[in-house]
Amino acid sequence: MADLIFLAIYFGGPVLLLGLAFFAGNAIAKRHEKNMNDRQSALSHMQISDISTYFNPDPTGTPPLLLHSEVTLGIDHFRGFLGNLKNIFGGEVRSYQATLDRARREAILRIMEEAHSHGFNAIANLRVAFVDVSGNATLKKKASMVTIQASATGYLSGQ
Amino acid sequence: MIVVNTETLPGHEIISSLGIVQGNVVRAKHVGRDIAASFKNIVGGELKGYSELLTEARREAITRMLAQATELGADAVVNVRFSTSAITQGAAELYVYGTAVKLKEAESAPPPIPVV
Repeated sequence: MADLIFLAIYFGGPVLLLGLAFFAGNAIAKRHEKNMNDRQSALSHMQISDISTYFNPDPTGTPPLLLHSEVTLGIDHFRGFLGNLKNIFGGEVRSYQATLDRARREAILRIMEEAHSHGFNAIANLRVAFVDVSGNATLKKKASMVTIQASATGYLSGQ
Repeated sequence: MIVVNTETLPGHEIISSLGIVQGNVVRAKHVGRDIAASFKNIVGGELKGYSELLTEARREAITRMLAQATELGADAVVNVRFSTSAITQGAAELYVYGTAVKLKEAESAPPPIPVV
């Protein structure tokens, strides 16, 4: 009996944590996606490009401005666990990919929102980069979070 | 001061380059933030502490770069680039650099001659 209780505590704890991470992680990811879809539809008029040329700029308006955003998303325990499993056999690690995708989308959306708040309707020279803040990649620790940094120039375009 | 990450500026002409200006900052969050982040990490979601850490670092680095540009008497900083490095766990270096330039208003181009 004592052994059973010991086993339940020893294995039950991590399994419970994984379960919690799976459900809560999925709910958070879904809510985030929905939130981003709503925000994106409000910004559909924004012209965005990664070319450093201004398209039909309006020189009479506000001068162009450097915009910048950064987003750090945690990789939940369940996705981390799946990623580690996948690492053994190799192949595409979808669990990390989805989190990276969300972080990039969020960073670009924040840039678009900042541009909108300054009264700009176009963005040029968008740059998106991965940042190793906690030193996970450099210090060869397992990935637990992703940080994306984006920069761009906002300007007023005659469209 | 105009700051952009493009090489040109609409409505302006670059008349001279004053060289590279730069700013860097290494920032760390207090240990409480790190602990809070590790709890949040169980279920995923945004780790606001680290996003803020970068935002603060970026603002500070840009301020330092602009101070250099002002000292040189620049009108604008163009082609601004960011770079980060992980020094140690929980700390990040943010380095920002660009070219300080002198500007003048661009003369408007003559209207195109209509082809008859």
